Amino acid sequence: MKQEDLQFYGKFMPKLEEIQTILMREIQAMLDSISTDSETALAEHIKCRIKSADSLCEKLRRLDLEENAVCALQNLSDIVGARMITHFVGDIYTVLELIENNDHWKVVTVKDYIANAKSNGYRSLHVLLNLPFGIGGIDTINVEIQLRTIAMDCWASLEHQLKYKKNIRNTALIVDELKRCADEMASTDLSMQTIRELIQKG
Amino acid sequence: MKVLYAEDERQLSVAVTEILKMEGFDVTPVYDGEEALNALNHDYYDAAVLDIMMPKMDGIEVLETMRRDGNHIPVLMLTAKATVDDRITGLSTGADDYLAKPFSMKELVARLQSLMRRNNDYRHSVVKYANIELDSQSCELRSDKGSLRLNNPEAELLSYLVHHVGRSFSAKEINDEVWSGQESPEKAELYLYYLKNKLRQIHADIGVQIEDDIFTLKEE
Repeated sequence: MKQEDLQFYGKFMPKLEEIQTILMREIQAMLDSISTDSETALAEHIKCRIKSADSLCEKLRRLDLEENAVCALQNLSDIVGARMITHFVGDIYTVLELIENNDHWKVVTVKDYIANAKSNGYRSLHVLLNLPFGIGGIDTINVEIQLRTIAMDCWASLEHQLKYKKNIRNTALIVDELKRCADEMASTDLSMQTIRELIQKG
Repeated sequence: MKVLYAEDERQLSVAVTEILKMEGFDVTPVYDGEEALNALNHDYYDAAVLDIMMPKMDGIEVLETMRRDGNHIPVLMLTAKATVDDRITGLSTGADDYLAKPFSMKELVARLQSLMRRNNDYRHSVVKYANIELDSQSCELRSDKGSLRLNNPEAELLSYLVHHVGRSFSAKEINDEVWSGQESPEKAELYLYYLKNKLRQIHADIGVQIEDDIFTLKEE
């Protein structure tokens, strides 16, 4: 954690870190209930993060809210977030089912940007969870889990660079090309999923 | 569909031209071999119908010359002497089909249509150069050491470059010549960089060389 993040979150930091640890542990336990073998593991890897003060303030400004930790905790849902990367598209929905059947949290919303990709080509499944931990004047905290394949993750990281880099030559062309790559990768993801199903069926 | 029709018998030419026009062909009639060759050199046709017996230059010579010049459009030969030798000479020179005079108009139309159809199939072709092959239909790029799938504009670009190995282009020229100016020089440049990487990936013996914004496909 950077100094500015520690400063921004102040006394809430230990609690947020605890929530992050618990979330990670719950997700891992849930996945291990299906398989602990790395060959058949549902997740290629899982990352967890507490949103940086920088991007949090940017979001608060955008929403015309006060730039402080209490306001953020009371209004935003992705201060604590996890991202799970899978090999195959099918695994994402298997994990979604596990999440929905887990009684350690409540599923608030599911946004399926795989079935309904964003117009720029972005694909992921966003699940908003409500965890029974009070912090900063709220009784339960919302956290977000993003699920995507390796291909979708790779695409999103490149798109992210585009978003935060100013003065790129031919932005329109790059945007078009990224969209094409996203669609081609989605198509290959589905081909691989289909082949896997055929292999498993034998 | 533009068809060149070389026939020295005026009456027959008028009748055939009329009927082909009614069938939707865009027919240009010419009346001797020289005229035919001249037209083929100066205009694009989808197919040619050549009478064998013509003044100045016969149909076989026209065919030989056009094939030598690299013109591979489908050619149907018309022959009055329906001898086996004549037919064989025509076909072995590079004719795609022949019809013996007198012929039925319906058969001529049917054969022309069939030639056009076949020619469309020929566009599914494999472009080969050095150690690479590009299947124009599947857009698969292969070498003896690997393979990749290109997308359509990449395949069009590579196919064009292979046909112009060693020639240098600016990105604007590529956009104008490969995509009729429909895309953009910026896209052409990006796609040339894609190809450079992809050719290298499959260990192609040729590569896109880039120097001062000038692009050349040549042997590495």
